[in-house]
Amino acid sequence: MSSSVSNSAPAHEMDRSQPAVVVEDLHRTFGALKAVDGVSFSIDHGRVVGFVGANGAGKTTTMRIMATLDSPGSGKVSMGGHNVVHHPAKVRRLLGWMPDSFGTYEHMTVLEYLDFYARALGFKGADRLRRIQEVMDFTDLTPLADRMSNKMSKGQTQRLCLGRALLHDPQILILDEPAAGLDPKARVELKNLIRILAQEGKTILISSHILSELGEMCDSLLFIDKGRIVHHGDAESMVRGTETAGETLVNVQIAGEPAKLIEWALTAPLIKIVEETKRGARLRIQAVDEDTLAGVLRRMIQDGLPVLDYHREERRLEDAFIDMLGQIDKNTFKAQPPEIRPQKNAEAAN
Amino acid sequence: MNAAPAIMDFPDRLSPMVVKELRQGLRTRLFGGVLLTLHMMLVLLTLMSGGAENAAVVSGWFDGIATLVLCIIMPLRGFSAVADELKSGTLDMLALTRLSAGRIIFGKWAAIASQSLLLMLSIMPYVVARFVFGGLDLFGEITALFYKWLIGVVIAAVIVALSTQRQFWLRAVVVFLPLMMGGCGAASFIMVSRMGGGMPPGTVFTVFTKSGGGSSTLLMGVGMAAWAIFFFLSLAATRIAPAASLLSVIKRSVNLVMLLSLLLLGWLTGSGADMSMMAAGVLSLLMMDALTERVNDVPSVYAAFYQRGWPGRVALWLLAPGWVTGLVYTALLVALVTVYVGWTRSVEEAKLVAVRAAGTWMIAALVQLFSTRKSRDLLPPFIIFWLFVNVVVATLGSLLLMPLAMRSNSAWFTCALPQLLPAGYAMAQPGDKAAFLDLGMLTACIWPAVLLIAAVFAWRHARGARQEGWRMIHGDQGGAAL
Ligand SMILES: Nc1ncnc2c1ncn2[C@@H]1O[C@H](COP(=O)(O)OP(=O)(O)OP(=O)(O)O)[C@@H](O)[C@H]1O
Ligand SMILES: [Mg+2]
Repeated sequence: MSSSVSNSAPAHEMDRSQPAVVVEDLHRTFGALKAVDGVSFSIDHGRVVGFVGANGAGKTTTMRIMATLDSPGSGKVSMGGHNVVHHPAKVRRLLGWMPDSFGTYEHMTVLEYLDFYARALGFKGADRLRRIQEVMDFTDLTPLADRMSNKMSKGQTQRLCLGRALLHDPQILILDEPAAGLDPKARVELKNLIRILAQEGKTILISSHILSELGEMCDSLLFIDKGRIVHHGDAESMVRGTETAGETLVNVQIAGEPAKLIEWALTAPLIKIVEETKRGARLRIQAVDEDTLAGVLRRMIQDGLPVLDYHREERRLEDAFIDMLGQIDKNTFKAQPPEIRPQKNAEAAN
Repeated sequence: MNAAPAIMDFPDRLSPMVVKELRQGLRTRLFGGVLLTLHMMLVLLTLMSGGAENAAVVSGWFDGIATLVLCIIMPLRGFSAVADELKSGTLDMLALTRLSAGRIIFGKWAAIASQSLLLMLSIMPYVVARFVFGGLDLFGEITALFYKWLIGVVIAAVIVALSTQRQFWLRAVVVFLPLMMGGCGAASFIMVSRMGGGMPPGTVFTVFTKSGGGSSTLLMGVGMAAWAIFFFLSLAATRIAPAASLLSVIKRSVNLVMLLSLLLLGWLTGSGADMSMMAAGVLSLLMMDALTERVNDVPSVYAAFYQRGWPGRVALWLLAPGWVTGLVYTALLVALVTVYVGWTRSVEEAKLVAVRAAGTWMIAALVQLFSTRKSRDLLPPFIIFWLFVNVVVATLGSLLLMPLAMRSNSAWFTCALPQLLPAGYAMAQPGDKAAFLDLGMLTACIWPAVLLIAAVFAWRHARGARQEGWRMIHGDQGGAAL
């Protein structure tokens, strides 16, 4: 795997005085359904942003509009300074798109697949061969060159699809659930590729359901729910933002059936169940002082629960996400205005 | 780079789309299978043609097989050409390359056309062999084979255009209805000819073979075929192009030029009468195309016209994408053809042309009235209404006409429907004919009027986009009256 995939050719024209991506008051309806309902955000050059939301929240719809593949009902989207509706051709040149369904072709080898897209992107002769080789090295596809493109594992297909999206060395990448269905090893590999791309200064928008990984990879996260952006900021502020004061998260494991613990927690005061685990549960205790926390453990033992493990836990991104959705449903969530932050690293922009 | 030879199989000059389709297409079993079966049958036939007594039978079979392969099997390979890419999401990825919608569609078609050409060329040696064995008209046979290929690639263009429609059943109906009706016709023809005795079954397929005619016919045929291919491929390209595309400008300009040159040709060669019929046929296709584009609400599309001063503003009314300008455009064309037919043939026929055009407007009006507001795609409802009105109503209508014809009455009720009027007019009593046509014209006017009202609303709906387009060019001055 090579360490770089940037093309030696000059980058496509892009207005660097504006953020790489600007979405303003975007709406898109399908019949009566408001799939995207007033989405606004902007992404600076060279930043990696995670796009998070429940199924059907409107991620794919937003991303398709950004990629000029769907028309906005109203609102403005510009990529690299070009309006996606007025100048789709310009936007397409600086955009790499990886859809959630990676379309491969029948009767076509990996090499032929990449060759076709390289031709379609205007690469000629030896230049084309060189570029294909670079991309195959980067995505580790060289050993698979002669495999039929539609008869590969998910992880391999994924890499092929990423390779295709990188052929023309796009400055902005839109990846729709690139990690879906990958095994842990493939996911780590994908994460590494994305890290390298980020280091090369590409602007990347990734949608995913695997929050913990997004938290690691991304400079900031965009949360979307029912077609609206409900949070835009980094992972820590997200976790802090949804924290309710005066609560502690504890992880409890017991010997034997975890159902006993659940039963107990349902009737105990000050305690809510966050999630059941294999050998116990994660509980939310409405207290922060150590005496009360110790008191809860004492009560468990007094009530005959065979406790094996009882420890405090940090809140995770998933907890924050679920809390936030709950708070939105109860209308108690304070939406944070989408922030536009100064560029992370100046050298990446150059 | 050990991989290099494998992907240098096609030169850079070739369109990437063609390369892709050929790589995939030549690898499928279908192409190999067709090629092999075809050649086995042709070898047998050629060997059989040794005896002179069955030469006619052999030649019939030869034509039949060539027609089946070139005009039906090969074009049908385009049946899901674009639909498959639409469904698997790969069309999106194609759209994001530098390939334009036009080149994507053209590539799909060109791959079929070139494979078809390959097949046609591989048939040639058999023609020569039969010429050597049995002394047939070599030039005529080769021309006939060429015509089959030509018709085949036009059909392929139609089918590729159709494949931009996702729904399988709609495509199937449009393709197989004519095929079935043709098949029934052919079957009954065979029965009749069997009873009449002695005609080889292969003759059924030779409807357009052994066509005589000189080089001018050939030229005309090639010209018409080229235009038809352009027409269907550009129609298809519009359907997959982004909203900001200005394909309608190219499309409508070329189509207008085509129509004008037909009329001019008729005038120059003194065959205005024939040309006017051809022009009327071309006209109905053009109307289908122009009236099924959805109204465009992309400001930059209008800005492109406003940029060019008053000529641009005039052109906008005729060439801007969308069926509203399509209505203006078709009105111009209909007027043109009507006047021409009136001039070269007769006023009655001119009126009939106008009524037929009103029939197409009627379909478009029905689409506007009855298809859901949300649906952006106007072509499928147009095709459905067209099939419905033409097949069902015309069949019922002729059933109603039959008894009247026997009692030799004028069928006044046919004036109500443009599609029925020509039949009613044909069998009207001589004394009634003039009044008949006038009444028909009058009722036919309803449909363009309905369409016009719908157009006014649709045009107002896109007003914001036009104003924004104006502002992109001229700033805030003027533009209020758009
Ligand atoms: N072409 C379409 N026609 C009708 N409805 C659509 C269409 N595309 C999306 N929708 C609807 O719009 C809403 C948003 O869909 P979208 O695909 O953007 O969600 P998503 O956030 O990507 O979800 P997921 O995580 O499941 O991929 C959904 O309710 C979906 O049913
Ligand atoms: Mg999605």
